[in-house]
Amino acid sequence: MAITRRDLITNIAKAGVPAAVALTTGAEALQAETIPVPSAAVSLLYDASLCIGCKACVAACAQANDTPPDTRGDALHQAPSDLNDLTRNVIKLYKPTDGSPSSFVKRQCMHCLDPACAAGCPFQALHKDSETGVVSWTAEKCIGCRYCTITCPYRVPRFQWVGYNPRVTKCEMCSHRLAKGLKPGCTTVCPTGAVIFGPRTVLLAEAKRRIKNSPGRYYQDRVYGDKDNGGTQALYLSRVSFEKLGLPELGTESVPARTLRWQRRLYQYFALPGLLYVGLVQVIRKSLKGHEQEAHELEKETGLRAQL
Amino acid sequence: MNSAPIDDNRWRRAVPVYGFPVINGFFLLLFALIVLAFVLTGYRELAGLGPVSGMNDAFGWGIWKTFNVMVLTALGSGAFAIGIAAWVFRRKRLHALMRMALLTSFLAYACGLLLLGIDAGRPWNFYWMVFPWKWNMHSPLAEVAICMSIYAMIPLAVENLPPVLERLWYFDSRLRPRVEKIERGLYSWFPWIIAAAYLLPGMHQSSLGALMLLAGERVHPLWQTPWLPLLYLGAASFMSFGCVAGTTMLCCLVWKRPMDMEVLDDAAQITWWLIAGWLGLRLIDIIARGALGTAFHFDRFAGVFWLETILIAAGGVLLWRSLKDHDTRSMFVGYVLSSLGGMIYRFSPTTLAFRPNPEALYFPATVEILVSLGFISLGVAGFLVAVKRLAILPAPLHAWHDMASYFRFRRPYIRWTGYFKYGYFGEDEPKVTQSD
Repeated sequence: MAITRRDLITNIAKAGVPAAVALTTGAEALQAETIPVPSAAVSLLYDASLCIGCKACVAACAQANDTPPDTRGDALHQAPSDLNDLTRNVIKLYKPTDGSPSSFVKRQCMHCLDPACAAGCPFQALHKDSETGVVSWTAEKCIGCRYCTITCPYRVPRFQWVGYNPRVTKCEMCSHRLAKGLKPGCTTVCPTGAVIFGPRTVLLAEAKRRIKNSPGRYYQDRVYGDKDNGGTQALYLSRVSFEKLGLPELGTESVPARTLRWQRRLYQYFALPGLLYVGLVQVIRKSLKGHEQEAHELEKETGLRAQL
Repeated sequence: MNSAPIDDNRWRRAVPVYGFPVINGFFLLLFALIVLAFVLTGYRELAGLGPVSGMNDAFGWGIWKTFNVMVLTALGSGAFAIGIAAWVFRRKRLHALMRMALLTSFLAYACGLLLLGIDAGRPWNFYWMVFPWKWNMHSPLAEVAICMSIYAMIPLAVENLPPVLERLWYFDSRLRPRVEKIERGLYSWFPWIIAAAYLLPGMHQSSLGALMLLAGERVHPLWQTPWLPLLYLGAASFMSFGCVAGTTMLCCLVWKRPMDMEVLDDAAQITWWLIAGWLGLRLIDIIARGALGTAFHFDRFAGVFWLETILIAAGGVLLWRSLKDHDTRSMFVGYVLSSLGGMIYRFSPTTLAFRPNPEALYFPATVEILVSLGFISLGVAGFLVAVKRLAILPAPLHAWHDMASYFRFRRPYIRWTGYFKYGYFGEDEPKVTQSD
């Protein structure tokens, strides 16, 4: 018996429906429960209780990345009030008016294990290195859509608002220096050792050792970045609450894993959209036949050319 | 011959708007706005986004994306929503509105995409779109950008071809064999093209909602929900019904054409059901997430929420009432109100209900508004040219015959230009006997 087109399509549909459903619902199993830590993950550990707010790291960062000093705030000093298109690293002060403890905070990219900026970036201009885990920006792939400034829960990537060739500025952990065997600029100048550089496993152990040695010294006896937002490669210790320092409590699940779960599942292997498409074609094929027939009947009735 | 009586109001044929000049005062105003927008665009490309817009580090997206793309492509989803009703659910009367839906969709998408290119800081890198292996497959923005471009350039553009081919067919009888050959080829591919024209907007209109999922808590809890993609798609559906049916009614009013209440009632009924379902889903979602309390805080978020909800609900009620007494006035006002409410809803998560930090503010700059207005004008001007030159607007059969006599007696020089010269009104005109 010859296979008609109808048989072929029906058979494909019979096989396709379970396959697509399996791929879509089974995608959860494919999605790793724990986010893998890059093999040679490098890390920054910042202990806010040691920071004296000298801003040497801010100057060193600008020097290491060859950016002109941001003197737009006042014409004399390099004193950016926040991260911006010239500032990858900034020291801010949290000082409550009621006299409770104040704290400095160093803000730079957290290098999340599952970065939201890279999850949203349409053409992979923001990319997490599979070995070092550094999240870096590639000028040749960026279309300047500024979605990273919307998605990053830490509001780190900054867009250059002036000029015909804008860039996105964020800490890239001085990956050009790492390649030469040097440490990131900010960690080379810190007089109190408030920010140190090293492999993530070593620094995480060091942070936990500090908490163990002086219980009660740190907020919730917790390292921010160990589990937060699925884990980050910049680790924080602080005496005051992390939220006051601009590090929101995001839970242990990463932002992309939490918010895009269904989006990812629906588009897994394009199975469901593909199936829907084939189904739509079948329905419309039949509708078109009927519609064409009606149009031609109207043509016969009126003598005016059929309009489809 | 059993043709319909001459005063029959049923829309049975698309007829160009004849007897009105394309260039008038309003058109010149639109043209001036378009030229201004293009000049300002040139300035924006040289100076960057900062000097021309109110965007800043906290509000990285301005009205070019959040209004011209997010809101106006929702209004321009008629080809998707009405198309699905007509072709998939076989509401046959709605075929009368299809050409209007396809035209408004194409213009809304084309103008939105143009502005998306201007809004991008580094547009020269868009060429990565050609290499699928460079896409970030799970990024909602990649899905929106790629899917929207493909949709507007291929299925939507192809669906808009029949009126153009038809005009060529009437233009010169020597073109007819070639036009008919193209049409045959086109129609054999139509199921595949039309199906893509429903799948792709379904994907990107929902992904527009998914865009703001990644923003997490910075979107106010009244709007931030895992159902945002579905709610965005639903809003686009009833808004586009409002846009297409409302625009058609407005055109009938302006150019003094009869309205087919059978078709309009059909559209209003579907719109009313869509609005009821959408509002139900939205309220259930808000209550289930426990966010209802924030709707009674005395702040701007609650104000925006009630404004959009009341507008959409009032529009729905007016549409429902118009079904009973076939009242065109309440039907039109119902479409306008529900679409306005939908527009505010689509605008809120990115702008009105987006709280990147407590002190962040965004208000569009003058240049930004002028460019946005210029690209809306481009769409409106394109619409005016298209309905006057192509058979887009639905009309009763007698309108076509009226047009024929108009061109024959009032504008005889039209024959000299070639339009209708060899058509049914030329040498090979078949003998149509009219009963009255």
